[in-house]
Amino acid sequence: MIAVLACKFCRFAIRLLGRGGTDFPGRVALKLCPNLLGQLAKNVTTVIVTGTNGKTTTSRMIEQSWQDAGISFFANRSGANLLSGVTAEFAMNSTFTGKCRYTHALIESDEAAFKAISKFVDAKAVVVTNVFRDQLDRYGEVTHTLENIKIGIANSPNATLCLNADDSLCTSIAGDAKNPVIFYGIQTPIYAARVDELSDAPYCIHCKHAYEYEYVTYGHLGKYRCPACGYARPEPEVAVSDVVISDGEHSELIFSVGGVQYPASVNLPGGYNIYNACACMAAGKAMGLDLTVTAKSLSGFACGFGRMEKFQIGGTDVRMILIKNPAGCNQVLNFLTQRKEPFVFVACLNDRAQDGKDVSWIWDVDFERLVEMGDTLKSIYVSGVRAEDMALRFQYAGFPVDRLHVVKDYGKLMEQATKQNAPVFVMPTYTAMLDLRSTISKRYGYKQFWE
Amino acid sequence: MELNICHLYPDILNLYGDRGNILCMQQRLRWRGIDVVTGGVSIGEKLDASKYDLIFVGGGQDFEQEVLLEDLNGGKTAELKAAIEDGTPVLAICGGYQMLGHYYETWDGQKCAFTGAVDLYTVGSKQRMIGNYMFTCDELALAVVGFENHSGKTYLGSGVKPMGKVLAGYGNNGEDGNEGARYKNVFATYSHGCLLPKNPKLCDHILATALTRKYGACELQPLNDALEAAAHDYMCARLSQK
Repeated sequence: MIAVLACKFCRFAIRLLGRGGTDFPGRVALKLCPNLLGQLAKNVTTVIVTGTNGKTTTSRMIEQSWQDAGISFFANRSGANLLSGVTAEFAMNSTFTGKCRYTHALIESDEAAFKAISKFVDAKAVVVTNVFRDQLDRYGEVTHTLENIKIGIANSPNATLCLNADDSLCTSIAGDAKNPVIFYGIQTPIYAARVDELSDAPYCIHCKHAYEYEYVTYGHLGKYRCPACGYARPEPEVAVSDVVISDGEHSELIFSVGGVQYPASVNLPGGYNIYNACACMAAGKAMGLDLTVTAKSLSGFACGFGRMEKFQIGGTDVRMILIKNPAGCNQVLNFLTQRKEPFVFVACLNDRAQDGKDVSWIWDVDFERLVEMGDTLKSIYVSGVRAEDMALRFQYAGFPVDRLHVVKDYGKLMEQATKQNAPVFVMPTYTAMLDLRSTISKRYGYKQFWE
Repeated sequence: MELNICHLYPDILNLYGDRGNILCMQQRLRWRGIDVVTGGVSIGEKLDASKYDLIFVGGGQDFEQEVLLEDLNGGKTAELKAAIEDGTPVLAICGGYQMLGHYYETWDGQKCAFTGAVDLYTVGSKQRMIGNYMFTCDELALAVVGFENHSGKTYLGSGVKPMGKVLAGYGNNGEDGNEGARYKNVFATYSHGCLLPKNPKLCDHILATALTRKYGACELQPLNDALEAAAHDYMCARLSQK
């Protein structure tokens, strides 16, 4: 097993060099042995989480539920979700002879990489969070993303599918597949007021007639029905029947599964995290876990890498929320605009391959709603490679230019933003987040992310 | 003064940031004390071009294209053609640009008839032309920066001028060095998303064209375009390095 050794060696060497490389070792290993992943994953019960938004958070929730259920497993972390990264994770968790140290694996996978990974991994369950328009230069149109997921599922004949019933695109996956399906969904609207969003799927996936909605939770998600062909939201088997509280710190929910009610507290704010929690419950159902235990796990999981992650800098609370597309970003704004207490907003926009080279999407985000908050939003700082574009977006949203600051140096940025006597919400794109974390860890002594 | 803008198919032709162009036009009018009304006209709704001073058409996804073509044939094509011939300013981006032409021929030879409002046509290719790019706007003698993402290669007929020459990137087809199209008061380009905010002079030129047509002479007050210039110049410098 030279490939396994090569993989481990590369990872070791890269860590010594102090960079969080999670992809390069896998690429080396795949060159040495193309079917390495297939061999390593052969006897491991694997659950794959894919979709556009919410993969990482849903995975961290499932991870906690597995820990609490006493399952022996490993999970891919640090966003290592391409074929090479996943191969590296399997190799790192195997012995030198290629036998996995754990019985289970939890794999978060890019929807494009899922297609490739599924050729080698025979998943026990596949969780699809949702399908939204994502970085067009990377993923192409939304229907293309959907096709990739469908191919991946065709490669996974033994998997139970956990599908978002409220997403007309996601639900359509069930139609082509022979797999057992568990639909999950939310039975009620989740926001008192929503930002103005474009729907990524206004027209029926089957007959192209406009959908009708009984209610919308966000984006194109909700209780939809096509009046022309009758394609409609299926009744979810795992459902959030009631949202009791959803505030700035957490949500309290009632789940209904097969007539049994499970109260749960989710220790992350934001309506979109209610969906992630629901996906986690569906995964629990697919794995035959005790759902009372799974529901409890939702209050105890650790925040993922830039997903509402908390820091403290000089006594100021900082939350970091990764952004990558209009749908995800609008959900963060849905959360922020509920705030009544003053806060500072920081947006870091990069345009490297992992961020999406096209930054046009910031014009589809309803930043006007932030501006409408008046003095509650004390000031806005913009940074990153495309800081000027971000600044322009806020100027055209009508934000007063004297409270809008362009600070390109991350050290100075964090220093200035945290000195305004108000909590700070930082929204970076992916590579901006990596750079920001590195700055924060050096200046304020936080751990590097791969530890 | 007041300007009425028509956003054609706002729920379908809204690919990645097209809304930014509308926002930009609205704000640059409001900041000068000019009223602006924007109305969307979508599937099944009648287009009455005489009600508008400017028509905006954005880009879209292939999935919805079928819905759109059927609807165009139901009366909008004729109305659009007449409006263009009459001198109504039109800003068309990416898919909207292609839609103004005669047809789109897919790379495997299938022809899809478009409006034919402007003498141009598009041929699909297997190669996608993606990236930041830069081109000249000849009538304003300035460089425009934007982002292109298209697999269609567009070719202009004899009565249609390009907007300008490609300085970096692909442009209309990656072959003849041209980018965009100008015909009467039609401004068409592959620069999708937020074209206008980073190119405020082009935005003002289009607005002035519309206002002049409506009110006779029109001079737009200058605005403080410091942030616009910073964003424009950053990308110019980056693309010039290559």
